[in-house]
Amino acid sequence: MNARSIVIVLALVITACSTQGTPSGGAAATDQGSGFVFASTQFTPTTEQEAMRTKILAGYKGAPVDFITDAEGVILDRITAEAKAGGAGKVGLIGLENGQFGSLISGLQDLGSTMDKYKGIPADFVGLGKLGTATQYYVPWMQATYFLAVNKKALPYLPSGADVNALTYDQLITWGKNITDKTGKRMIGLPAGNNSLLHRLLQGYFYPSYTGGLVTTYKSADAETMWGAIKELWKYTNPQSTTYAFMQEPLQSEEVWIGFDHAARLINVLKAKPDDFVAVPAPAGPKGRYFMTVLVGLAIPKTTANQAGAAALIDYLLQPSTQIATLRENSFFPVVKVDIPGDLNPGLKLEADAVAKQAGAKDAKPVPLPVGLGAKGGDLNKAMVDTFQRIVVKGEDIRTVLNEQAALVQKAITDAGATCWGPDGSSTGPCQVK
Amino acid sequence: MRLPYAVDRALVYAVALLLAAWVLVPLYFIGLAAFSTPDAAYSYPKALLPVAPSAETMRFFLDSRGVVSSIVNSFAVALLTIVIALLLGAPAGYALARFAFRGRDAFAVLVLTTKMFPIAILSIPLAVTFLQLGLYDSIVGVALVHSAMALPFVILVTSGVFVAVSHELEEAAQTLGCSRWTAFLRVALPLALPGLAAAAIFTFVISWNEAFASTILTLRSRTLPALVLTALDQSPITFKFAGGFVMAAPAIAFIFLMRRYLLNLWGGR
Repeated sequence: MNARSIVIVLALVITACSTQGTPSGGAAATDQGSGFVFASTQFTPTTEQEAMRTKILAGYKGAPVDFITDAEGVILDRITAEAKAGGAGKVGLIGLENGQFGSLISGLQDLGSTMDKYKGIPADFVGLGKLGTATQYYVPWMQATYFLAVNKKALPYLPSGADVNALTYDQLITWGKNITDKTGKRMIGLPAGNNSLLHRLLQGYFYPSYTGGLVTTYKSADAETMWGAIKELWKYTNPQSTTYAFMQEPLQSEEVWIGFDHAARLINVLKAKPDDFVAVPAPAGPKGRYFMTVLVGLAIPKTTANQAGAAALIDYLLQPSTQIATLRENSFFPVVKVDIPGDLNPGLKLEADAVAKQAGAKDAKPVPLPVGLGAKGGDLNKAMVDTFQRIVVKGEDIRTVLNEQAALVQKAITDAGATCWGPDGSSTGPCQVK
Repeated sequence: MRLPYAVDRALVYAVALLLAAWVLVPLYFIGLAAFSTPDAAYSYPKALLPVAPSAETMRFFLDSRGVVSSIVNSFAVALLTIVIALLLGAPAGYALARFAFRGRDAFAVLVLTTKMFPIAILSIPLAVTFLQLGLYDSIVGVALVHSAMALPFVILVTSGVFVAVSHELEEAAQTLGCSRWTAFLRVALPLALPGLAAAAIFTFVISWNEAFASTILTLRSRTLPALVLTALDQSPITFKFAGGFVMAAPAIAFIFLMRRYLLNLWGGR
């Protein structure tokens, strides 16, 4: 190939390729206005994206929708840019976690008048959708939580008197010790790798269960006790945990027997081997069985060209049949009242039971995701994961690390101007680390 | 001491094989896992040979919406970037190499300062500007940003190339009836071609690997890295391997295509 033919080929390729991707997804458009983008921080894994486009949205008959997912920063930047640029934006609907809406408030439509249509959404979820104001900025869409997936091979090593469905953290540690003593292996797994959700386990499980708070008790004496317990747990935790992002993979390869993670990050192994596994509620600490409820909501930016189309898509996503499809395909649980079908996949059934047992436990106390941190949420998460790294992985002195990291936690919260939330109660100014 | 010819050759080949293995062994494992069943990819220890070949993961990945069109977009953006960056960068490099002008050294340094500016800070203003200009979500818009990123390298590489092309040859061509322009076109440019090919490969790799600007500036017309980077981060490992394979393979193919021009540069046989 000589130089000239290369140039010609380049020119042809560029001309041929300079077209925009065409919107698809959903079914053929009826008269519902122009197509729009549904941007979300959820369903980023390839398989979940495809399930969303080809199955969950399959029954939607409105305007053509392009479902696009990306990391939180990218999605928020893009929506902010559309709001600043003015004119008609391409993004018609956004689906974010409760804590991710904060910085977008001024660009979101009031959805208050539509809430009557959606039956059975718990009142505290509806309240979260107001983001601490009187305006309904988002409509709750779906929910998830975290719990333990346990290989049945681990059950014979349960400490005597322990009920696997009502464990305490102390029993979990003893359980891990029993396994290590008998098999020589460390078979507990924590998601402590890159892109893991370890910070959520600290924020919604360990901290409140041991200290009754998070920010206000960050460096308390109870927190010292908690970190001591996590260090003890780590002795029986597979050291490869620092590479795990999703616990379903090491559970499937039997590198670990007991894994603590987000429902969507356990589902593949439960679906693949439902007979070999049980799913059980998170353990309880001295202050109770705290667990985190992940609430994902839907909001419409003011800049969208097709308000009616976006509202119609919300209607569709909140229909009981769509909510069940979302559970079946991507393992997020319904927010509206639905009858869970009897023919549910056995893996999903395990999860649904664990979720019900966890929420229904006598000592159960739900915690939301951090509220009001907006873009500073990442700083808070990093400060907490770094605390874990320094104390548990590197073995630094607990008191020293807590004092140093507490300053970073405080900075993230003060920078965001976030008041106390969840287990910390409420405050007038930024929540104060104690 | 002089080594016998056979030993000398054997050593050269051994080093060459080692270097090739350095690059090819990881690619082999990526390819192997991309074309295996998920169970085989999860198993441990890993098999060294394809024990459970399957195109299932790969097919699902390539059938996912937007993957094929994003590969096409990635190529289009990369090629457009090469054209823009060379059209702007090569003359600038030529000027730096041939002409003495006031502020020449300052210009050479100034070109590099663009690399000092982190693009992450620019994300929202850039997206707002592109939205207002109507360049948002278009291949041309992404290619423009990639060109801006590649230009410093292109200018510095091409100026080095043109310095190496003897000025006397161009002057000789001018005494034989060429204009300044035709002398450049017929004498300097062909001699500089290997260097320009190197600049083109460099530009291609910069554009092909770039994810941040493409992610911020596109919604539907995404390039491959923009489409898959976040998704693969959170996907099962079989998809990571499939995505890695699709990311690596075209770039390798492109470099093979351009390889002959590089060999010219290094005095290939």
